[in-house]
Amino acid sequence: MTRLVGRRLLSSIPVLFGILLATFAIARLLPGDACEAALQERADPQTCEDFNRRNGFDQPILTQFGDYLGDVFTGDLGDSVRFRRPVMDLLVERLPVTLQLSAAALLLAVVVGVPLGVIAGYRQNSKTDVATIVGANVGVSIPVFVLGLVLQYLFAKELADTPFGLPPSGQLTAGTIPEPFYDAWGLEKNTVFDFVANFDLLNAVLIWRWDVFVDAAQHLVLPALALSTIPMAVITRMTRSSLLDVLGLDYVRTARAKGLRERVVVVRHALRNSLLPVVTVLGLSLGTLIGGAILTETIFNLTGVGKTLFDAIQGRDYFVVQGFTLMVAVVFVIINLLTDILYTFLDPKVRVS
Amino acid sequence: MTRLRSGLVMFVALGLVAASCADDDEGEDSDDGGGGGDFTALAYDESDQCGQDPYTGNLAQLEAVDELTVRFTLCNPDVALPAKVAFSSVGIHPAEHLEETGGSPIDNPIGTGPYRLEAWEQGSQIVLARNEEYWGDPAPTATVVFRWSEESAQRLIELQSGAVDGIDNVGPEDFATVAGDDSLQLIEREPLNVFYLGFNVDTAPLDDELVRQAVGYAIDKDRLIENFYPEGSQVADQFLPPGIPAYEDGADAYTYDQDRARELLAEAGHPDGIDLGPLSYRNEPRPYLPQPAQVASDIRDQLSQVGITVSLDEQESGAFIDNANAGDLGLHMLGWNADFPDPTNFWDFHFGEGGTLQFGTGFDDLHEVLTEAAGTVDEAERAALYAEANDVFMQRAPAIPIAYGGSAVAFKAEVDGAHASPLANEAFAAMSLEGQDQLVWMQNGEPSGLYCADETDGEALRVCEQINESLLAYEVGGTEVIPSLAADMPEANDEFTEWTFELRDGVTFHDGSALDANDVVQSYRAQWDAEDPLHVGRDGTFTYWGALFGGFLNPPPEAEA
Repeated sequence: MTRLVGRRLLSSIPVLFGILLATFAIARLLPGDACEAALQERADPQTCEDFNRRNGFDQPILTQFGDYLGDVFTGDLGDSVRFRRPVMDLLVERLPVTLQLSAAALLLAVVVGVPLGVIAGYRQNSKTDVATIVGANVGVSIPVFVLGLVLQYLFAKELADTPFGLPPSGQLTAGTIPEPFYDAWGLEKNTVFDFVANFDLLNAVLIWRWDVFVDAAQHLVLPALALSTIPMAVITRMTRSSLLDVLGLDYVRTARAKGLRERVVVVRHALRNSLLPVVTVLGLSLGTLIGGAILTETIFNLTGVGKTLFDAIQGRDYFVVQGFTLMVAVVFVIINLLTDILYTFLDPKVRVS
Repeated sequence: MTRLRSGLVMFVALGLVAASCADDDEGEDSDDGGGGGDFTALAYDESDQCGQDPYTGNLAQLEAVDELTVRFTLCNPDVALPAKVAFSSVGIHPAEHLEETGGSPIDNPIGTGPYRLEAWEQGSQIVLARNEEYWGDPAPTATVVFRWSEESAQRLIELQSGAVDGIDNVGPEDFATVAGDDSLQLIEREPLNVFYLGFNVDTAPLDDELVRQAVGYAIDKDRLIENFYPEGSQVADQFLPPGIPAYEDGADAYTYDQDRARELLAEAGHPDGIDLGPLSYRNEPRPYLPQPAQVASDIRDQLSQVGITVSLDEQESGAFIDNANAGDLGLHMLGWNADFPDPTNFWDFHFGEGGTLQFGTGFDDLHEVLTEAAGTVDEAERAALYAEANDVFMQRAPAIPIAYGGSAVAFKAEVDGAHASPLANEAFAAMSLEGQDQLVWMQNGEPSGLYCADETDGEALRVCEQINESLLAYEVGGTEVIPSLAADMPEANDEFTEWTFELRDGVTFHDGSALDANDVVQSYRAQWDAEDPLHVGRDGTFTYWGALFGGFLNPPPEAEA
C-alpha cells in the first residue's frame, strides 16, 4: 500500500508540473491583460504600463515563470491581481463551496442512481428498465444551465408559497453570517480551521445552529439536484450494466442453485462485485464535478472554484488561474489515489496483485 | 535628473485655530482629529508644477484653511469642479485610517455615510448596517445586503421568489415581464452613455470627411434601437446624452437618408461604392451596446445597401481596447458611460487636445472650441460653445453617435423610495420596506475592493456611495449636484480657480472620529501625489483621478520605447 501511494504521488509530480506550465503559458498567450480587462474603455497605455510594472508582468516570461515556480514550492501561489489577496486565501474560501456542492451532488447521484441501476438491471428489458434508461439519457442530455433555470423557476417561483418551495440561490439567506466554529470554540483562526468553517453545513453542525444547517441544506437542494443529473445517469447505467455482467457469472448461478432467495443473491452476492466499476466512476465523477461546476455555480450564485476560475480567466487574473488550476489538478490526483486505494480494499484480486 | 518633491510649503492655520506643533520642513504634520483640540492644518502648494512637464494635472493647491474649511486652488479655471468633487472616487476617509491601512482600506472602508460596513463575506454578500450617528436623516432600513449575479435571468428569479428586494440591469427580454407583474416595479434608468461608430481620421479612406458623413446618413439608428436595445434606449443625435449639462435640444444630427449617403459618396469620387475595410468591435456587452455582434452585423448590412463594404473584425476585449488607445483601429464600434455629469467627461477624453488616439490626431477646430468651453464659466456661454462643438463635430464627423443605451432596475412593488440613478448610484438610505428591517439588492458583480479612490466598476462605486461621502453629492435619482459633507455649495473666486468648501460641523466617521478639513486634504492627497506613501489603493491606478483632475503629481516616468 505504501509503495502504491508513494509511486502514485511521485508520478503525479511531472503531471502537476506540466499542468502548471501549460496553464501559465496559455494564460499569458491570451490577448489583452489584467489592466485592460479591469479598466475597459478607461485603460490607457501609461496606466497599464505602470500597472504591469507594479505586478511584475513586464519581466521576461521565463523570469516570471521561474519566480512563480519558486514561490509555488514554498506554498505561495501569489496574490490575486483583482482582489489583492493571497490566492491561497481565495482557495480556502471557495474550494469548500465547490466540494460541498460536488459531494452533495454525488451523494444524490449515488443514493438515487445505484438503486435505480440495480432495479433496472434486475428487471432487465422491463418497462422499469426502459424507463430508467430513457431517464438516464434525458438526464445526460439536458444542459445543466437549462435544468438549473427550470428548477429555479419551478421551485423558487411557481411553488414559492407551497411546502415544496425552495430558494433559487445556493447561498445562505441574505444577511445570514454564521459564526465560524473556531470563534465559537475560542480557537485561534488558522488556514485549516478557516477551510473547514467554509463548509456551511459542517460549520453549522459544529456551532450547533440547526437553523443555519437547515438553511444551508435548503439552499443546496436545487444546485445539487441540477449538478447530480449527469453523474446520476452515468452511475445508473454503470450499475445496471455491471450488475448484468455479475448476474451472469458462475458463482451467482451457484447461489441460485443453492436455493437462496433472489433478493439475497442480488444484494448480498452480486451487488458488491458490481459496484467495483461504479467506485471508479465515482472517483472520476467527483473530480469532474469539482472542476466543471462552473455552470451550476453561475446559475445558483455560488462562488466556488469554477466560477472563480472563469472570472479570473476573463479578468486575466493570472495567479488565480494558475493557482486554482493547479489545486483542481491536485484534488483530482488525490481523488484518483483514494479511489485506487478504496478499490484495493473492495477487490481482493487487486490487493493480491 | 532625480525628481524631488518640490514646491511643498506648509501653511499653519491662521486666525481660527492655534498651531501647537512646530512645522516640519520635510513633511506634513499629522492631525489629532480635531474636536476642538489642537489642529494643525495640512496644506500642499504645488502651483509651481502647473503647466510644467511632467505634471498634467489642474490641481495647484490643497489647503485645510481651518478645521472646517478646505480650499482647492486650480491651475486653470474649471467650472465643472463641483460635479467632479461629488464623484464617488473622491469620498472622504479618516486620515488616520488611511495611514493605518497603508493607503489601502480595500475591505475595511470607514466613512461618514448613512451605512457602515458590517461584513464582507467575499464571494457571497456585503452587509451594511445603519449608521446610528449619521449627520443627516437616518436610513429607514437597518440593514442593506448586497448580492450579485452576472445572469439577468437569475437576478429576476431571485426577485420574483422574494429572496431579494431589488435588482440591477433587468434583461431587455424581461422588461415586459416585470412591467406586467403587479408585485414588482420596473424603473427605467435615464441613459448617460453613448454608443458610436468611430473613425480613425488619419487612415484612408476614412480621412475623407465626405465618406464619414456618408456613413452617418447610411445608418438606420431607429432600426438598431428597435431590434437590439432595451426599452428606454434612445437614438443619439449628438455625442452628449440627455441628462448631461449642455446637451443641445434639436441639435443637427445625421438622419437616415440613403440617397444623401450615395450622393456624398459620389461627391467623394466613389459613385460605385467603397470598401472601408474592417469594422472592429469587441463582443463585450456594455450598457451602451448590449448586443455587439448583432449590431455589427446589422450595420454591415445597412452600409452595404448604399455601396459601403465593411468586413466584421471581432476582437478580444482587452486587445480591442489596446488597439483603440494606440490608434490602430480604423472603423470601429465603441461607447462611453458617464463618470460625472459634465460635458468635459464626454468631450475632452475623446476629442479634446491630448485625448484618446482612437480617432487619430483629431481636428484643431474641435480642439479649440472644446478647450474654450472647458474653461468658460458662464453657463450660457458654455452651452453656446458646446453647441458650436456639435456643429464642428457634425461637419468633421470623427464619429457617428448612434444610441443612448437604456437600462432598468426592478424592485418589489412595496419598496418605498425605489428609484434608479442615472449614474447607477442608487441611494438605499432613501428606501424602505414595511415590516422588513433588511433590504437585499442584487447587482451584476462583486466589487473588487471598497476603496473607491482606486476602483472604476459601478458595482464597487455603488457600495462605496453608501459608506463614504464626498464634499458634494448627486441628488437621489438624478445628476444635480447638492451639498453633502460640505454644508453648502462651494464659493468660487471670479476666475473659478479657487474653490472653498465649508464642512458641516459635528460630522463623525463610523469609527467615532470627527470629520475635519485634514481628512479631506489627506483623502485627496493620497490620490494626487503618486509618490505619497498612501498612494497605494488596490491596483494603484487611481484611474478616475486623471479624469477628474488631469494627472498625478510626480507621475511614474514613461518607459522608453
